[in-house]
Amino acid sequence: MNLTLFIQELVVGLTTGAIYALIALGYTMVYGIIELINFAHGDIFMIGTLICISIFGLFGITNATVPPTGLTLVGALLAALVGSMVLCALLGVVIERVAYRPLRNAPRLAPLISAIGVSLILEDIGKLWKGITLIPFPQIFPQNVFYIGAVSINSVYILAIVVALVLMVALQWMVNSTRIGRAMRAVAQDREAAALMGVNVNRIIAITFFIGGGLAGAAALIWGLSIGTTNFTLGFQLGLFAFTAAVLGGIGNLAGAMLGGVLIGVVEALATLIPDSTTGVFGLPHGGGAWHEAIIFAILILILVFRPTGLLGQQTPEKV
Amino acid sequence: MAIATTLVPTRDTRALLIKWIIGLLVPLAFFTFIWSGELIINQTLLSMLGLGSVSDISLLVEVAIFIVVFYTVVIALAGYLVAADSGHRGMIELWIDIAVFVLVPLFLVYGQGLIIGLALCAVIWAVFFLVRPRVYKALNYTPPVPLQTLRVLDAEQRIELKNRAIIGSFWFSVTLALVWLIVDLIFFFSNNLTTILLYWVAIRTLLLPVAGYFLGRLAGVVALSRTIAPKSNGENSANGGGRTTKRRRQLESLSATRVREEAQDLVPNDLPLRSSGAQRFYMILIVAFVLFYPVIDPFLFGFGTDGRLASYGDAGYYVILALGLNIVVGFAGLLDLGYVAFFAIGAYSWGIIGSTQLTNVLNLPPVDAHLLALLFWPMVLVAALVAAFFGVLLGAPTLRLRGDYLAIVTLGFGEIVPIVFLELDAYTNGTNGIVGVRSPAFFGINWSVITPTPYYYLILALIAFTIFTNLRLRDSRLGRAWIAIREDEIAAASSGVNLVTTKLFAFGMGAFFSGIAGAYHAAKLGQVSPDNFGFGDSVIYLAMVVIGGIGSIPGVIVGALAVYSINQFLLAQLDTLAADPSNVLYTVKNFIIEHGVQGFTFGNVRNLVFGIILVVIMIFRPEGLIPSARRRRELHHTEDEAVEVGALDVIPGAPGFESEVHVE
Repeated sequence: MNLTLFIQELVVGLTTGAIYALIALGYTMVYGIIELINFAHGDIFMIGTLICISIFGLFGITNATVPPTGLTLVGALLAALVGSMVLCALLGVVIERVAYRPLRNAPRLAPLISAIGVSLILEDIGKLWKGITLIPFPQIFPQNVFYIGAVSINSVYILAIVVALVLMVALQWMVNSTRIGRAMRAVAQDREAAALMGVNVNRIIAITFFIGGGLAGAAALIWGLSIGTTNFTLGFQLGLFAFTAAVLGGIGNLAGAMLGGVLIGVVEALATLIPDSTTGVFGLPHGGGAWHEAIIFAILILILVFRPTGLLGQQTPEKV
Repeated sequence: MAIATTLVPTRDTRALLIKWIIGLLVPLAFFTFIWSGELIINQTLLSMLGLGSVSDISLLVEVAIFIVVFYTVVIALAGYLVAADSGHRGMIELWIDIAVFVLVPLFLVYGQGLIIGLALCAVIWAVFFLVRPRVYKALNYTPPVPLQTLRVLDAEQRIELKNRAIIGSFWFSVTLALVWLIVDLIFFFSNNLTTILLYWVAIRTLLLPVAGYFLGRLAGVVALSRTIAPKSNGENSANGGGRTTKRRRQLESLSATRVREEAQDLVPNDLPLRSSGAQRFYMILIVAFVLFYPVIDPFLFGFGTDGRLASYGDAGYYVILALGLNIVVGFAGLLDLGYVAFFAIGAYSWGIIGSTQLTNVLNLPPVDAHLLALLFWPMVLVAALVAAFFGVLLGAPTLRLRGDYLAIVTLGFGEIVPIVFLELDAYTNGTNGIVGVRSPAFFGINWSVITPTPYYYLILALIAFTIFTNLRLRDSRLGRAWIAIREDEIAAASSGVNLVTTKLFAFGMGAFFSGIAGAYHAAKLGQVSPDNFGFGDSVIYLAMVVIGGIGSIPGVIVGALAVYSINQFLLAQLDTLAADPSNVLYTVKNFIIEHGVQGFTFGNVRNLVFGIILVVIMIFRPEGLIPSARRRRELHHTEDEAVEVGALDVIPGAPGFESEVHVE
């Protein structure tokens, strides 16, 4: 196999993986704290991409105009990042308040169905807002290509990975070393005991949704700059992968979500290297790209068979 | 003259008679005179005499059978209700209930068509449930406590009860006959009724009271079987045996929720319309309606029967899918997010065999088309077994997983299977799907993709089979093991439930039914397309189960039908209505288009509306529309009052103590 191509795909995989990881963090945090698969999370991300496009529109930037430079560029990027993060975060909080909080003590599947309902609602809002066609993202970030040997690395990829890393480190710090983080861990461990110790459980859960939404908003901007297209169905597909990433790493575990996200991104990229079976002995019909989803899920199933709680998940003793 | 004396109502019975005759006659009159009942009967009769417009004799016979069954059941129901009513709830309350739950649906379905009508009803009912307790409160009215009125009936009272049933049915049919007679005479003198039908009017007027008498006896038997008899000479005195006085003691020791459930079973009853006896009559009505629907539909809704039947046939396989998924999620408590995979496997099983696909791939001459069509019957079973095999195959690696890890593995499986079908295009035709899938054949029936009636009956048969199997499974040893696992896996395992086989059976049985649905789907559509098997579909099936009431078979059926109607009919019909400028929806639609959303149609916001409905139902009814009794008890156990321990009638240790202090 061609080594350059391999590394090339690895870089692409790391970029998408970083985005998956950012979204997966939202899933895993919510799951860790209220044991809910927040199906709407992927769609919050999708709304984030649409928000970014709108904010660029406010700056007069569309994919038809000449990309801005200098201060306008920085301003637009920052505005999009902050705007998307804040709005997505607020969206997450609103969803929690309206659709999940009334179901705190309901049977387990009720909030899940409610989440699916919210996901459908957000999808249609995206559809009504920006239409059903695939929307190209304005490619405003300077696309300088670096070469390491024969491997080309786009500057956007570096940006994506750096932003994702910074956010992940910040999140780790927040969860492990701040008062709010401690409260979050306490609520995740035992909601009632945490409440008895004076933790405002509802507020902590809202904060969790706020942070998760914010990370999705950041991921939305990175996605737009590096991958470049979006429409209302995006959240569903990406959400599925991100959720898979969260489970793969061990759901409820932050480091696991990052690892899972990167792993899935890399597998997805490397799958395209599998040749078409009609051309040679080894391969799959239509080449590996068409099968990437199946490959990801097959790997997921295999990993879960041998590690039933994910890669980094802890084997908790069963409570009786 | 013995009969005559029994037919004279006593003072108490008179009040009940008025209550129920009016309560039942008003909806019946609405159906008969305003809607199509009269039309059905007259057309049928005239055509039988060779004077009418309908010439298909088998159709007329079917309609006639339905009419006879319909009126017979209603008359018997009247007798049962008069006998079963304890008389503790007032007339007005009952009439309001009947107006809301029978008249309103009849009226709306008559005016707006089946789907829109029922949807409006659902809204009205929701509001009604919200308002009713407030009105009770405002009027300082508290409904009587169930079982407070519980009586043990001695032999004399039993005879009286039976008499009341006879009186009820008899006078109901007399009133019915008289009302019909008057109305028909009016029709006759205004020249809307052919003379020949007058003979029928005369026969009917004489026949109905006689029928009423005998139907009343039948209703009396039904009512009597639900009373509590005094303890007879040790015949059924064993624990939990017959409905003896002992039973009364047991009932008194139950928790409030259980009492409310048990009260539905007994006669005399505060709410006889909801009692289990009345439910029997409803079941007969529903079964008759569903069975004869293809022949009644043109009378009720006019043109377009074929289209409606076809879409109801589609709704049917969703019922099977939801029931199958209910085994996995509802009974065994294993969250399955990839159920669509088995549906796809079932569909492709018949798709590949039932078209020229397989013979083409293998370079064989095509099988004779008629033979191929007959092959459908064994292939339904084969498709189901293949699906079940894959269900077990999926189940095997998930045995160690718990909760949401299991969910994601099923989800993954549900994603892999359609991709495999999509990409292995040498066998499955890839994105184009398989076309030209054969319809089944049955001797003497003209059966193709464009004839909905055979499919309607096929899906009815399949649903009946599924419901029957599900009921038997639920009450079997295996079913109880599933429920035990759902409640507490460790406790179940400790009690000797084999987790491995029980879970694998759950996956296998669940997949079995979706295999059946898949084969039907392929045959009905005449093609198999890979677009129908996405994660979104799995989610819809899960929504059906949860909305209906997880683990509850009637609930799941209602959930499947509700979700399907919302998704497929409701919003599409809203668009049809909005096309008419005189309709209020037309204004709404234009308002939305003018205020920013271009090209808005109601079909376009299907997911939005569906999503809102999902969230609202979950917030206001997290246990589902018709929760299973067990689940309702779990969710409302906090409302139960404590069991009174001080008043034991049996000394601890004495025989019978166990049942005495039996606590739910």
